Amino acid sequence: MNIMRKLMCSTVVAALGAGSALAQDAEPVQIGLIAPVSGIYARPGQVMKMGAELGVEDVNAAGGIECLNGAPLELVVIDSGDSVEKATNAAQRMVADYPDLVGATGSYLSSFTLAVTEVTERANLPVLTLSYSDLITERGYENVFQTSATAGGQAEIALPIIMDLAEEQTGKRPETVAVITDNTAASLSSVERMKNGLLDDVGLELVSEEVFTPPLSDATSLIQTIRARQPDLLFFLPTVISDANLILEKMQEFRVSVPTISFGIAIAEPEVLNTMDPELLDGVMSAVANWGAAGQEDLIQRLKDEYGEPWMTQNAISTYGDMWVFKAALEESCSRDREALGEALRNLDGGPSEYYPGGTISFDDMGRREGASLTIIQWQEGVPVTVFPEELAVAAPKWPTE
Amino acid sequence: MTETQILIESTLQAIAAGILIGAIYGLMCVGLAMIFGIMRVINFAQGDFMMIGMYAAFFALTLLGLPSFLGPVVGPYVAVLLAAPLLYGFGWLIHRTLIRRVTGIETADLEGEGHYAQLILTLGIALILQNGAMILFGAELISIRTPLSSDAIFVGPFLDGLAVFLNKARLVSACISVVIIVALWWVIKSTTLGKSLRAAADNPEAAIYMGIDVDRSHRTAFALGTAITATAGGLLATNYPFHPFVGLEYVIIMYAGVVLGGIGSVIGAFWGGMAIGLVQQLSTIILPTQLQNATIFVFFLLIVILRPQGFFGRNVERT
Repeated sequence: MNIMRKLMCSTVVAALGAGSALAQDAEPVQIGLIAPVSGIYARPGQVMKMGAELGVEDVNAAGGIECLNGAPLELVVIDSGDSVEKATNAAQRMVADYPDLVGATGSYLSSFTLAVTEVTERANLPVLTLSYSDLITERGYENVFQTSATAGGQAEIALPIIMDLAEEQTGKRPETVAVITDNTAASLSSVERMKNGLLDDVGLELVSEEVFTPPLSDATSLIQTIRARQPDLLFFLPTVISDANLILEKMQEFRVSVPTISFGIAIAEPEVLNTMDPELLDGVMSAVANWGAAGQEDLIQRLKDEYGEPWMTQNAISTYGDMWVFKAALEESCSRDREALGEALRNLDGGPSEYYPGGTISFDDMGRREGASLTIIQWQEGVPVTVFPEELAVAAPKWPTE
Repeated sequence: MTETQILIESTLQAIAAGILIGAIYGLMCVGLAMIFGIMRVINFAQGDFMMIGMYAAFFALTLLGLPSFLGPVVGPYVAVLLAAPLLYGFGWLIHRTLIRRVTGIETADLEGEGHYAQLILTLGIALILQNGAMILFGAELISIRTPLSSDAIFVGPFLDGLAVFLNKARLVSACISVVIIVALWWVIKSTTLGKSLRAAADNPEAAIYMGIDVDRSHRTAFALGTAITATAGGLLATNYPFHPFVGLEYVIIMYAGVVLGGIGSVIGAFWGGMAIGLVQQLSTIILPTQLQNATIFVFFLLIVILRPQGFFGRNVERT
């Protein structure tokens, strides 16, 4: 028995050694991460980088790109900065300075992704993105692939769930809703879809819509409106954490107690706890494109151990998943040519999705991931936990009545 | 609530919020006016001095453990006030090592009286401070929390159910701002230091002939300006989360306030900041909230067109 075990161990070690020798011989395959690592959006960009680094580490540990002699992935990080102009310049730098890049992922805000992909499309560089805006994949570009459900799509999925939950737990369906949104592309896409029939479909009357430019310096006027209109429900779409903070604190200050549903992760980033009491957040729900969920415990633990992140937001899990999507497509294309990779991504049939909620690892004609769903998270006892979909949930949802 | 009641309550609430935030903006503007008004230095790093003040107050609070013996309400404000002398020293050092090379008598042989060099130097200092803070403190948002941050004094109900909320943290900050302004006004008007600052601002050459050390006066003005803006930053941080790039959001407000108040007028700068706070809040009653900051600049342009010298133009008062 012992001899057999030793023999097996030696075989595995020899195989790993041979694999790593091959991987070391092969030139790395460069994948870009174009995300904000400076300016006011630096924090989410840094988290995207953490996820991508873990993804590269795991892909390489699993033998790299076998079809390319075990070539390892190499992450190239490009700072998209904190404005659309900077993101455009960064994209131009990326395609000019890194001619060996075969693909990229990015760029956090939809407005940045819209600008970045204007440049990458001309360079035939395939880009995977978590950005939500419907516009990203409505322009007919061939090399832009949206792994998330679009903003409009997310609203379509989330609203019926939210209404059913309210009815189930309070015995009454909300009738009126107020919307507070920033004017970034993803937020406006969600609100546009809501106003174009979705609110009517679920029986909600829009009593107030407040649009602001981030970052806010003060939320008094926004919350004063909510106080005056007294809606049954508040949909709240911030992108910047400080805006989420100001709005929730102002609600407490003005004694406004309206069930609050957010869209996006600004209210669920770990540093929210640096600036807000957990009690203030308890019960707040948010619809997000992706989140660390049941079945990913080991990965979440590694993120904690290696980077000190208390939980896995969509920014980390999605860039992690992107590295595996690139691996799958590179195995198909068996080439370092970015056009071949684009073709492989368009025709990819990667089976059920493991690192994004719902659907499969395949893209439709527009570049949208087929069957993409969303995750609904809720602050419960100081932690934002997945409460929907059921198969990924780690806790049951509670209607935010207080 | 009827539409009229909503309008009345929103207007009263906007005025209240505008005055409270305006007092803090006013203090920020006064800090810049000390530098811009007395030294004629266009300081692009003023917003970043405010950011350093926020971090200094935060670390004074956490490292000294002030809440444990002063309590969670008083501790943060003591931390803000402790940060002021630190930032005074920081400003003094920045002037002594860098700014003095492009101001005062050193500018005699520089093009444009050293203004080009000042612009580039202060922009450089701003970039170093922003990126240095990013490296040292990280990109995470933090704030100086007090139990007052999300608590309000409830005024009302009156006129059939109307009410106004006064944020307690902002109210305390506004009161501290006013006390600092009054103290500064007294120093400038009634002390020898104030006289030397005014003389150095009015006519540096004549001041030198009268035996005033203009370089020292400029250094004092720069250090005071830094400390005052940093204090305003600390007070703002009791109610506003901050990060290394927060200064960019406020430096334009500071310049607008200084120009509105009248270039060269320290007290005018306070009223300029107050006007910005009020315009920012009141604009939301008739315009979409997303135009809140754009409205400030429309107001600013109107004042520049109709009254180019600002509220308290240099003919009325200097320093």
